Amino acid sequence: MIRMGWLVLVAALVGLLPAAAEAQMLNARRLGMGGVATSDNGASRSANVAFRAVPKGQGYGSIPLPLGLLQLAGDMPEFDPDDPDFNLFEVLDLVSNPPLTYSLSKPDDVSGDISVFVARDSLVVDLDDVRRVIPEESMKHGGVYHLFGVGFGFKNLFVQMQPIVHVRNEFDLDPKLRGALRDAEPFVSNTRYALTDDGVAQAAVAFQAGIALRAYHAPAAGTGTADAEEGEDSDKDEDPSAKDPRRNRSTALYVGAAPKYLLGLAYGQIGGDGGITTGDTLFGSSDPVAFDMVAVTRHAAIGEDGGTGHGYGSDLGAVFFWNNFELGVGVNDVASEIHWETTVRRHVYSDSLNEFATSVVAVDEDFTSRIPPTTTINVAKRMGPTTVAADIVDNELYTGVHLGAETWVGMVAFRGGAYRDSNGSWQVTGGTGVRFGGIGLDLAVASHRRNIEESRATELSASLTLY
Amino acid sequence: MRRLAVVLLMLPVLAAGCGDRSLILTVDVLSFLDPADVSRSYGPIPGGLSGVSVDVASEEVSLLPGIEDVTEVSSAKLEIGASFDNATGTASASFRIYITSADSADVFSSAPIADVPVSLTPGAVTNVSTEVTSDALAEALVQDKVKIGIRVTFDTTASGITPVQGIETITLLRATVITKKNL
Repeated sequence: MIRMGWLVLVAALVGLLPAAAEAQMLNARRLGMGGVATSDNGASRSANVAFRAVPKGQGYGSIPLPLGLLQLAGDMPEFDPDDPDFNLFEVLDLVSNPPLTYSLSKPDDVSGDISVFVARDSLVVDLDDVRRVIPEESMKHGGVYHLFGVGFGFKNLFVQMQPIVHVRNEFDLDPKLRGALRDAEPFVSNTRYALTDDGVAQAAVAFQAGIALRAYHAPAAGTGTADAEEGEDSDKDEDPSAKDPRRNRSTALYVGAAPKYLLGLAYGQIGGDGGITTGDTLFGSSDPVAFDMVAVTRHAAIGEDGGTGHGYGSDLGAVFFWNNFELGVGVNDVASEIHWETTVRRHVYSDSLNEFATSVVAVDEDFTSRIPPTTTINVAKRMGPTTVAADIVDNELYTGVHLGAETWVGMVAFRGGAYRDSNGSWQVTGGTGVRFGGIGLDLAVASHRRNIEESRATELSASLTLY
Repeated sequence: MRRLAVVLLMLPVLAAGCGDRSLILTVDVLSFLDPADVSRSYGPIPGGLSGVSVDVASEEVSLLPGIEDVTEVSSAKLEIGASFDNATGTASASFRIYITSADSADVFSSAPIADVPVSLTPGAVTNVSTEVTSDALAEALVQDKVKIGIRVTFDTTASGITPVQGIETITLLRATVITKKNL
């Protein structure tokens, strides 16, 4: 019972986690520029398959310096639930916001006693400080995660194998329950207080073959013919920017396409609705509430029911340069679907029997899951040592906007930016960097709300950049 | 399973009980009494008797289910207030509060949570108020169902031949239980 209680507690609190999909940005150069995606930032390469074909620009590689781990080592949270210093919310914050960046400021830990007042026809729950973690709206979190891929390229072609994980969960309290928990509104009689959860998780391995190439090129007026192009060894002593379509005022179009076969490893889906309904009297001689809970699950997994799934998808992208202006459009996981043979179960809680009854609705039922596409549209303009850039990233859960600028003064870069996060809040970033030949050190400071309270915090990110 | 469902639905409450924080459960016991039992007449009780009991209230009520499973009681107290408007006679009385598990066959067979002495004199209103701490109270109030009983026992030996009668009114019965998590 004790362990089960913990499991239920942690599992359900996952539904209260913030939009953890908004992962930390470990590339300090990019973070300093508001997290904006550009073709010359290696961290953006996965956003647009066409970026592969564009000659490398400034900062093609990045090595993150996880300062947050040092901070964690010096201030480890208490994991022993029996310890007086144990704070579940601190642990959840750690999970939702892995300590890879250095935390400069964060919300106060959730603390304080809570009070429950019970009378025959009254129930008031005052969560005090814990109210901060009760979501004001439905909580959506998840994303499509393209994990580290293994592959190689030859000229314009490339092949790779890459794990993909897609997670989406939406947890919601109905307004009455939210009001009772968030605003300490009294529970009243003859009312249902409900919560719902709708979640999907699937994992697959993508076997991908692609091409990324320059489809069109016209040199800037007065700079020679199209034959004087990038990649020629005779250009070694020239200014590198002479071959860089971002900075040589040439007109160029790069396109990329990468179809992929998706080997589905596991799929799971749950749609649940539960509630408590109060009676004529909240606390009388009979049970004060009636419970109801219904959940429908669908699953398939390698080595288990349904086995593996199979499907196809593609990444597409294009980036256009004109007069040092960049416009890119990348769409990942276009029409990506996986076909499964799933088992569907229905779980109904019986209040009278005080147990769940599970029935199998279907076995090996054909089902096609979808990996939602992510679209990145980016623009950038280079003016000498200065770059200004913006992008819009649209995915299943939200549309993010990133704005950023960078300028170099000798060996030192100054950066600033802002971005609209998954909660619709604007965050501010800034940073600097210094370059020593082929390597540079970058630092960035940014605000964020990646914590269970969804309150403003600030972080310091550091990374090495390979030029 | 039912209790697990409660755990799920009362999740934030339970989470708040982690670590050094407390869940403070306040129960307005008075509200559970039948209004007719809150203010009752007693007597006439003949003088010269001892151990005359008047059962003011005896009720079974449902409280928050599941609390017992996930919390560990730190302390509990019961605030008591009552008024005795004694019309005639002289008596010493014991105002006793019983709160016990619903499993108990007879709430009055358990030890009282509180036993408040009251001195009654003719034509006088006697107000009593006190506060008691009790482990038994704590154990009872974190259960799903409890029985509540209130009994007044009169000793009228000092009243002579004058019967004792009046009106007893309960003005306050509020229990506060402080618990920690126990997951």
